[in-house]
Amino acid sequence: MKPVGDRIPANRDPATAVPRESPAGNAKGESPGENRQAEGPVVTLSERVLKNPLFIAMMKEEWRVHSTMFGSAGFALFPLLILAFAAAGALLWPFFSDVLPPASAVALLHGGYLLAGMSVGAFGLFGREVMNRRFGQASLIAYSSRSLPVSEEAILTAFLLKDTVYYLFFWVFPFVAGLAVAAPWIGLPLPSVLRLLATLSLAFLLGLSLVFLLSTVYAHSPRALLALFIVAAVGAAVSVRSLGKGPAALLPPLGLYYQPSALLLAETLLLIVVPCALSVRFMKVEYREETRRFPRTLDGLAARLAWLPDPHLVAKDALDLSRSEGGAGKVVFSFLFPVMFIWIALFVLHRFIPMISPLMAFAILLGVVSSTIYNWVTEFDLFASYAFLPVGVGTVIRGKLESYGLLNLVSLAILVAAGLGTGQADLLFPAVLTFASLSFYAVAVTVYVGGLSPSVMLYNAKVYLPYLGLIVPALLALLFLSLPNPWFALASLALVPAGAFVLGKAFAKWGATEQTGF
Amino acid sequence: MENVIQVSGLTKTYGDVTAVKEVSLSVRKGELFGLLGPNGSGKTTMIKCLTGQLKPTGGSIRVMGVDAVAEPVKVRSLVGITPEQETPPSFLTAEEYLHFVGHIRRIADIEGECRFWFDFLDFGDKREVLCKDLSRGTRQKLMVAQAFLHRPELVLIDEPLINLDPLMQRKIKDYLSSYVKGGGTVFISTHILEIAEEICTRLGIIHRGTLVREGTVGELRGASRHLEEVFLEAVSGEAGG
Repeated sequence: MKPVGDRIPANRDPATAVPRESPAGNAKGESPGENRQAEGPVVTLSERVLKNPLFIAMMKEEWRVHSTMFGSAGFALFPLLILAFAAAGALLWPFFSDVLPPASAVALLHGGYLLAGMSVGAFGLFGREVMNRRFGQASLIAYSSRSLPVSEEAILTAFLLKDTVYYLFFWVFPFVAGLAVAAPWIGLPLPSVLRLLATLSLAFLLGLSLVFLLSTVYAHSPRALLALFIVAAVGAAVSVRSLGKGPAALLPPLGLYYQPSALLLAETLLLIVVPCALSVRFMKVEYREETRRFPRTLDGLAARLAWLPDPHLVAKDALDLSRSEGGAGKVVFSFLFPVMFIWIALFVLHRFIPMISPLMAFAILLGVVSSTIYNWVTEFDLFASYAFLPVGVGTVIRGKLESYGLLNLVSLAILVAAGLGTGQADLLFPAVLTFASLSFYAVAVTVYVGGLSPSVMLYNAKVYLPYLGLIVPALLALLFLSLPNPWFALASLALVPAGAFVLGKAFAKWGATEQTGF
Repeated sequence: MENVIQVSGLTKTYGDVTAVKEVSLSVRKGELFGLLGPNGSGKTTMIKCLTGQLKPTGGSIRVMGVDAVAEPVKVRSLVGITPEQETPPSFLTAEEYLHFVGHIRRIADIEGECRFWFDFLDFGDKREVLCKDLSRGTRQKLMVAQAFLHRPELVLIDEPLINLDPLMQRKIKDYLSSYVKGGGTVFISTHILEIAEEICTRLGIIHRGTLVREGTVGELRGASRHLEEVFLEAVSGEAGG
């Protein structure tokens, strides 16, 4: 047998090893490539960014994280799906233009991309936990400032740039490309398409930068974050009610779309750059090393849920949600904000189309949106945690559905409050039934396509298409049925047996599927 | 003596990759069987197939007289399993997790069983700590405890002592030996030869998915060889070799 030393290649001999520059930067904590540039030719900022090894590594990492979860082809198809969806939506838009006037459509698009930016940014807030649940002890470059000779500021800057470039190409550009495809047929002039490209990108970046700032504030003080929310909400309310300003004033990229000006562009860019800069400057990297202790709560909680078939599974979900980072705040971000947005948008629409019943349309949309609660109850869990215990996939899914059913009472409460608060109590009965039946159907479809990992699987175009195929026709049919008479939406009751059928298929499908990963 | 594990022609493929290839073996009641193999040799896949976590591509598996392919949940209700990679849920405390497992396994005296394991494994004040905040070693101890909580007759452990300090390793090794003497059966997979040599009554060496050696430690070592030599020889050949 050869001695071990013989197997060490000459260039790996520890005795002769010389310090080499890390791909992430040098030992002084300078940005990667910084020391080389001092001797080389002058390089542009874009070259400096695009050749930054940290940035390149993060881009590759982002792709690999997604392609590992969804498969390269499935993930690569997602932008094409967005393009096709945008083109189809735009081509169909003339049929809906009475329902959705251009001004509302443009406002909705900008608002939607603001929320999309916020959701991408929010992943930075909770991503580590999610990744750890999905991949075990996940180690991303963004979390590695302790092991790489590079400053945390450099890592976060590269992370921000990566998110910006990656998601603009992934979410924004394909959508605008889809609009461009449809533009000649719907009379959308090319300058408008180009303006949308710029302003939707800015809306997305604004959402991203705001959430980065909010996460920085949260890292320092959750109370400060709450105070900031209150100030923002009061400010928005005062702006709308007292000053008479509309959504364009609250969302500068939207204002920029209608009235392009250098001043407004500068203002928008400042609103993006300043929060990012503040985030980088005042970032607090929390390596949660404190040991969190809790008295035994699981059994007491399960005892109170003893009327359910799987009280301990439901109690565990409740503890997962309440003890994970962000606590109930993450549900507010992902659920209540969109729901509020929909409610406000429906009232705006009602001004233009009086035949819309805001409460019934809200009940229908809430039925679909509420199914995202199922994503939350599956987010911090995976079947591998149960695979060595005497439970099957079906039992775990059943437990998740019980948790979903309980949490969905919040949606029901919102619907009832909306109905009573706006004097539409007469419509509450059909609205609640419609919401309940659509909600059941939507979650059944979600379970069928996504099993125990819907938030992961729905990014896969091969999964997302059947999801849309099963949800959108039902959604549109109910919305149209509710126009002449809100009570017609009770046709949604037909979705109950359909949902039961889909759910039966879902249990059979996932029971027969080997749970090798997430 | 009755076989508590009976595997015949077990094959498991992932796409084009054959992780386990036509493995046949049996483990008798009261044995401490060690499955040895280098990293990626198919040990974990074997354990997952034996416990119904993975469906084999071919072959048959009976565990405690139950068909592991047809009734995986029943197999898992009978045996205890300590997986190699899976860790306890992040947001339950150690104490809550053992109780959680106890309820899933419908154990009558959960309090008593949990108390025994927390005392035995020196948990001290770690019981109320969230699992994600426990050290790797403590999480490993918790996973060992959950496998024995319902006093199964057969326990399958993937890399049993990894992450544990020498004191705890000694304690677990002694426990496994006494558990087997008391009539229990243990199936462990490991690539740490010293563990296998010290506590196992019979060994199998798996290499590139194929069982290349099987026998008692004495049979494998022969008159004067070290287990390391036997192991290196067994895994240095070509596939299956």
